[in-house]
Amino acid sequence: MGWLEFVLTCVVALPLVACLLLAVPAWFGVRFGERVISAMVGVAFGGAAAAALAALAGMLGSGRDSLEVTLGRWVVVGDYTFEWRLLADHLSVPFALFAAVLVGLIGVFSRRYLHRERGFFRFYLLLALFGAGVEIVVLAGALDQVFFGWELVGLTSALLIAFFHERAKPVEHGLRAFITYRVCDVGLLSAIVWLHHRVGSSRFVPDGGPWAGLVAPSDTASVVAVGLLLLWASMGKSAQVPLGGWLPRAMEGPTPSSAIFYGSISVHLGPYLLLRASPILQGSPGVAWAVVGVGALTAAHGSFVGRVQTDIKSLLAYASMTQVGLILVEIGFGLHYVPLIHICGHATIRSLEILRSPSLLHDHHHLEQAVGRQVPRTPFHIERLVPNAFRPWMYRHALERGYFDSLLRLVVHGFMRVMRGVDRIDRWWTGKVVGEPMRIDAGEEQRR
Amino acid sequence: MSHGVGSDRPVTTLEEIVDEVAHLLPEQAPLHTFVHHNTLHAFEHLPFDRAVVEAAQLFGTRAFQTEAAFAEHQRCSRILPGDIAAVASQEVERRSGGNAPIVDRFTPRDYIDLRLRHLFEIPRGAALAWQLQETDLLHAFHPGVDVFRRRELSFRADRMFGGHPTGQRVHCMLSALWKALAEAAGANALEPRATVRRRDQLVACGADDVDQRVHPVLIRLCAAFLDQGVSSWGMPFREQGFLTAVRRLYGLPVPAPDAWQRDLAHELRTQEREGRSAVETCRSALALLGVGPEQWHTYIRATLLCLRGWAGMMRQFELRPDRAPVEPRPARLLDYLAVQLTFDAVAARAALRERFGADATWDRLAPASFGDPARPDLEPVYEAFVMAQIAHVDIEAFLRPEVAARWLEEARAVDATTRCRLLHAAYERRLRIAVLDGLAAHCRDPLPAPPEPRLQAIFCIDERECSTRRHFEETMPAVETFGFAGFFGVAMAWQGLGELRPRPLCPVNVTPGHYVTERALNPSEEQVWRNARRRLGLTTQALMQGSRTLTRGGLVSTFLGLWSVVPMVGRCLAPRLAEWLLHGVAEGSIAEPITRLVLEREGDAKDAEGRFIGYAVSEMAEVVENLLRTIGLTDGFCELVLVVGHGSSSLNNPHESAHDCGATGGGRGGPNARAFAAMANHPAVRDMLAQRGIVVPPETWFVGCYHNTCDDDMTWYDEDVMPEARQRAFAEAREALEAACLLESHERCRRFESAPHGSDAPAALRHVKGRAVDLAQPRPEYGHATNAYAIVGRRTRTRNLFLDRRAFLVSYDPTTDADGSVLTRLLGAVVPVGAGINLEYYFSFVDPVGYGCGTKLPHNITGLIGVMDGHASDLRTGLPWQMVEIHEPVRLLAIVETEPERLARILDQQPGMKAFVDNGWIQLVAWSPTDDRLWEYSAGAFHDYQPESRLLPVVASSATFYRTERGHLGLARVLPGYSDGGNA
Repeated sequence: MGWLEFVLTCVVALPLVACLLLAVPAWFGVRFGERVISAMVGVAFGGAAAAALAALAGMLGSGRDSLEVTLGRWVVVGDYTFEWRLLADHLSVPFALFAAVLVGLIGVFSRRYLHRERGFFRFYLLLALFGAGVEIVVLAGALDQVFFGWELVGLTSALLIAFFHERAKPVEHGLRAFITYRVCDVGLLSAIVWLHHRVGSSRFVPDGGPWAGLVAPSDTASVVAVGLLLLWASMGKSAQVPLGGWLPRAMEGPTPSSAIFYGSISVHLGPYLLLRASPILQGSPGVAWAVVGVGALTAAHGSFVGRVQTDIKSLLAYASMTQVGLILVEIGFGLHYVPLIHICGHATIRSLEILRSPSLLHDHHHLEQAVGRQVPRTPFHIERLVPNAFRPWMYRHALERGYFDSLLRLVVHGFMRVMRGVDRIDRWWTGKVVGEPMRIDAGEEQRR
Repeated sequence: MSHGVGSDRPVTTLEEIVDEVAHLLPEQAPLHTFVHHNTLHAFEHLPFDRAVVEAAQLFGTRAFQTEAAFAEHQRCSRILPGDIAAVASQEVERRSGGNAPIVDRFTPRDYIDLRLRHLFEIPRGAALAWQLQETDLLHAFHPGVDVFRRRELSFRADRMFGGHPTGQRVHCMLSALWKALAEAAGANALEPRATVRRRDQLVACGADDVDQRVHPVLIRLCAAFLDQGVSSWGMPFREQGFLTAVRRLYGLPVPAPDAWQRDLAHELRTQEREGRSAVETCRSALALLGVGPEQWHTYIRATLLCLRGWAGMMRQFELRPDRAPVEPRPARLLDYLAVQLTFDAVAARAALRERFGADATWDRLAPASFGDPARPDLEPVYEAFVMAQIAHVDIEAFLRPEVAARWLEEARAVDATTRCRLLHAAYERRLRIAVLDGLAAHCRDPLPAPPEPRLQAIFCIDERECSTRRHFEETMPAVETFGFAGFFGVAMAWQGLGELRPRPLCPVNVTPGHYVTERALNPSEEQVWRNARRRLGLTTQALMQGSRTLTRGGLVSTFLGLWSVVPMVGRCLAPRLAEWLLHGVAEGSIAEPITRLVLEREGDAKDAEGRFIGYAVSEMAEVVENLLRTIGLTDGFCELVLVVGHGSSSLNNPHESAHDCGATGGGRGGPNARAFAAMANHPAVRDMLAQRGIVVPPETWFVGCYHNTCDDDMTWYDEDVMPEARQRAFAEAREALEAACLLESHERCRRFESAPHGSDAPAALRHVKGRAVDLAQPRPEYGHATNAYAIVGRRTRTRNLFLDRRAFLVSYDPTTDADGSVLTRLLGAVVPVGAGINLEYYFSFVDPVGYGCGTKLPHNITGLIGVMDGHASDLRTGLPWQMVEIHEPVRLLAIVETEPERLARILDQQPGMKAFVDNGWIQLVAWSPTDDRLWEYSAGAFHDYQPESRLLPVVASSATFYRTERGHLGLARVLPGYSDGGNA
């Protein structure tokens, strides 16, 4: 392994080591002080950032467009081999660098923000796990490995939403995010299986584009299916219409975790996945249009609903959603570097805004004084184009967040009803077989 | 002061009910003017001990600290055995039953004393049943039983149950004891908990939670209605009131996916068509809910209290539209109630239908079907059982039914509430003794006479200035300091240069009658300044708000977004440097013009609100005279008199205004100090004062300044108009006060766990300056935390006394106040303000979630009026935990330097204050102006105080006393030049 390969490995390894150093002693009841905990995370991600920078410099210096490291095999079953492989190219290295810097900064920031908080250790462990998950997603050499990081990100996200678990709402909202993630993970998993079935591999390979991508299956149906499954997967993580209702609700955790997850990194993993899947998008205009459609709908929805939000964190959540939608549109149009820059720019600006959100009163007062008039009075509003008579309808629609939550509830309730029916049938025939009458009906049991 | 929560007056109309219940709602104004007040203001007509318990039942909160906390206080000697013995005796006296022994020679007093010293955990309900069956509860002694008693009990067991195998005897004895006590308890069953709201009854019956459907919508609507400028699209129809706006929006025939919302639309349209008023709407909604008029009061109370933050804010907008941060809204609590009840009624009926079928009625919710099931009340039995093991009495006696019954009765009498009440009394007693002993000891030994004063300084009474004054006196012994409420008698509506609207700078209960503004000396300079600031502001706005929209946001984040890495890195790694680079440089380059106050009124000009524009000379003279007489500064003026206002500025702090000066209504007192100084320097005012007997010599000059208590920075006003001859004295004064601020920051740092401790003062100053501008800092300063005493008297008597930044110091000279009128006025202002701050801290500490607003970390600012916990919660009122975490929840101990007879007379003349003191919302002590005698006020009379100790530590400087300690400190005498360094 050359030094370039080594530093690349460090980008993933350092966060993982930090997790282990935090978790293993804690398992044996050893608790470190706040300074040690935050220093570990800060150093690990600082190191990862430095390693990513070194990898970038090395690649630029040696003129290599991509770099692959195989770390070992996990399972070999017949034709199938699961290899741990890292891939550095124009997409992953900047992203990995950027993510490491942000997580490291949040690590430093939170030492002061969460000082004396009971969940201090828990927060840092989850932050480090999240960071490790992101690096795995970003540097993964194949979709199989992406899945690991993807799950880590989802799990830590849900657990941090539910950080203040002594109240009911954070737990409820954490669960909601988790369920959305899980439902959408089905897309990722199915896409992987499908790809293995059709192509024989889910590896990212250079295809002449600016960076490596998935190998598109040869038949159109498979391309469309895989493309839509990947779109489905990224819709959950990136809070796209109609699944995005969890995003404003995710603002339950401590402010820094909201900033890093929903302002910057976590919500941008969907676009990242689609950027890796660009050969598939290119292979099927239908999928590309679907991506554009979802993105455009989300951007419109987010911008429209965001206008009526009255609390700063929901406002920023919808602002985030809007931009991610826009990024999806850019990806759907086949752009490469524009969405990458947009992601990085948006992630920094938004996370800083969320970090600043508790200063809103202070900022508003100063801004108003400086400008010399009441704010916000943005000069032009889309809603002014709407005829007067329709404005209340529009406002109500925005206030109800496009009724997506209610619709989702209908779907979930319908599903539950079906499952309960199935349960009843189950009980009925097992009763028949065993010869005992059915004693408790499902509804009764649910009530207990 | 007394709103009838517990009053029996029959309330008939719905409006009256709402008005009455409204008193129970939080009285917190929008966050930009945070004014500390008694959280339980609605209970002030009750004695404190009763009020906190009743409020705890009503709100589901905690009345006192937890028993675990009190156990910890005992462990670390914050409460001493002597305190417990004293409160036990008082409790026995208070009871009518006398102190006849319960068993042997063991009296109720012994029981209380013993019980308070053994605070063990009591398993509840099912946990107790489990312990009885599955643990060695009846096999081994309780862990609280000491080793001697164990031996004694084992010996008794051998005697009593000699016939049983050795290993079984203790079990036999404990089982017999349990059986005897359980039999004495009888079949005393607990009442099932009564539920009021339909929602609670429905939930108990297994229906969907109605609040889960209604609250998100209701919160969204309230926030949209009251929003002051977060959303860019304001709620339509809101100028017509909440009820109308909601009807128009939610009455729209939208095919909403939620069934209850379709019903709601129908109901709201009906209401609108029939033109029902808010009251009629409430009535019809209550009828829909099946609530009869006799239940209205309880039902409305329960309904309004379930989202009390929002309901309270509606009420605040209704009562004080002038306090709206940006623009008032036509809010009415009745409208809000009408909406809430309508929503509740429709959603509850929908839930009822879903649960019990289409034609179900409220009768289906039979009272027996909800609430906890009835079970025997075994918890007192458990307590009595453990106490019987601990107490040194003959255990065999408990087998006699009458003894067991007495014992159990005692256990019931000393229940958890009583224990906490008594422990709280013991906790307060220790602190009271420490302070009173210290004061008495301090005034017993005369101090070396301070040098002839060369400088006088008037500070706010705030306990944060308590230490600033001490450090000032230490650095410059020739200074004489005074304390007066930080608005300095200048009750004005102030509009600074570039401010959009005036804001009152005076106590909340005062409506300012004067409008004061400032004008730039050089208008062209002002224009340059305004333009530059405006450009900067517009750029910020374009970037900040632009990034939130669709198209501009896309452009900004794509092309400029990455630049924000710079502030991001700066804010995270080096907050002070970042603030300087991002704001200091940009704003520092825009020179602020020199201004003058527009203070003197010309004619009788009034502003739009009917306030005089400025003050007439006679009014100014009155303000100045009043202050000087109150603090006792009527002669012996020095060359310079500093007037020091204070405030606080910090980032990442929605509760920034709570750190500002309470006397200016949560504003910053700088302009008041400046205005006062300008008044006192006015030649015509001086003439008028001379006519009234206060001769201020012509060489005396008043200087206004402003102390930022967060970063300990000083701002000086109107330096350019100061006479040349005063410049030298001013330079000296300025240097000394800035040195005092340096030490002040050093002393503050000892309380910040993350601050360098015991380090040099410049490092401490850098640290506090960093805190003030740190986005990541949830505790920029600790504000009023740890406040505990108020001392009304001459500074000479508390000078050189270390009071640990815990005392409101009010200047009052009993020797010049012959008829007590000054004291009456002072107490009338100081008692409500001091007690308001103190009680708010008490409640927010004792129940940080129920009375306070919990931890700051997930706070989410909504509508520029308040904070929610994360996404869409109730509006959280009270203080955040990070502000109160180091507080000691004790009631304010007000020590007044005057004879007890005079104080009693004043109380008799002021029935409101007397009731407040009699009900024990503050503790009152009279302090002899001539010697070290003190009198405590209790049960309507003053009683001689007997000091417990006459020792007082003596140190050479404050710093030597506090440097090594992070926790609370007692009193100490600071004698510069004292060489021993140890305790005297």
